[in-house]
Amino acid sequence: MSDPVRTVRVPIAERVLEINDQLAEGVRADLTRRGIFAIDLIGAPGSGKTALLEATLQRLKGRRRPAVLVGDLATRRDGDRLARWCDRVVQISTGEGCHLEAGQVRDALGQVDLDGVDVLFIENVGNLICPVGFDLGQNAKVGLFSLTEGDDKAAKHPYLVNAADLILLNKIDLAPYLTFDRAGFEADVRQLNATVPVLGVSATTGEGFDAWLEWLERPLA
Amino acid sequence: MPGVHEFSIADALAAQVILHAPAGRRVREVEIRVGALRGLEPAAMEMCWDAVTHDTAIAGSVLVMDIRPWSLTCPTCGRVWESPVPFADCVCGEVAPRPTATDELDLVSMTVDDEDDAAEDAGVASGAASVGEPAAAPIGDAAREERAS
Repeated sequence: MSDPVRTVRVPIAERVLEINDQLAEGVRADLTRRGIFAIDLIGAPGSGKTALLEATLQRLKGRRRPAVLVGDLATRRDGDRLARWCDRVVQISTGEGCHLEAGQVRDALGQVDLDGVDVLFIENVGNLICPVGFDLGQNAKVGLFSLTEGDDKAAKHPYLVNAADLILLNKIDLAPYLTFDRAGFEADVRQLNATVPVLGVSATTGEGFDAWLEWLERPLA
Repeated sequence: MPGVHEFSIADALAAQVILHAPAGRRVREVEIRVGALRGLEPAAMEMCWDAVTHDTAIAGSVLVMDIRPWSLTCPTCGRVWESPVPFADCVCGEVAPRPTATDELDLVSMTVDDEDDAAEDAGVASGAASVGEPAAAPIGDAAREERAS
């Protein structure tokens, strides 16, 4: 037994998140078949994800048939806020989970009547890092930043900026009170993702919402 | 350890390694390849790996991370180089080289005790587990190509 243990290298070549990715493909196929455009909304705590959705749902009333899945660590507060504007809201309590996974989305979709629904908003857990790497079966990832977070946040979160199909910059109504370098923020975005649109919005005043709502009208890819 | 994406990844990886590990053979090393976009912190990942593998059949295995770096392209002089960070100035003075990176997250291989030694150590019948078996289903690349199309 004094001989060193001989070892052998076994090649595997498999994605680490293979199971999540397969579940996500199932969700995507189901939503596509139903004609539902699904958005994974990713942003930091306090960036205004729920406020953005409240203001969006308010404006979509009578125009679209939305459903919402909302991930939260512990409380039902976001779900309760959104339920005032939409009757198809499912709260996903993630416990200690810092992001949503495809299995949670699949299970939550089983709890909502999707008949007639044409747009699904998935509000991810407040976090700019972990949610990006987990496919949920969405058609588009929307990265939400806000003026109060500081103009360096795009540069500090390259994965989200790179993966995003749209960047929303919230709280633009606060611009007079903050030293946010918007040109610098957008230059950082552009370096990481040459094609992603950047739209400034205010969930409080509704400024910029015409462009955001117009973007939502995009056809299913 | 909520809020650490390394933890979720380590957890998924550990389950995958345990699934692939040949029975009765000690897993010494696990090799993963990670694109820079994933933003994986090696130190955090090592800590999470130790935490999630503790008290499992693969406890004590060493995680080897091949982190694929950023590639920076200078729009002024055309220089292309690798960098651990996405934003860096070029030697020519250009302050906005274009960063690109990948987001792969692949289990590449595992290194396990040789069959004869393992059988001797653990009293496992020789041939109970085939070394080649786990490698027979390299589904990662094919699945990724399908997704990209």
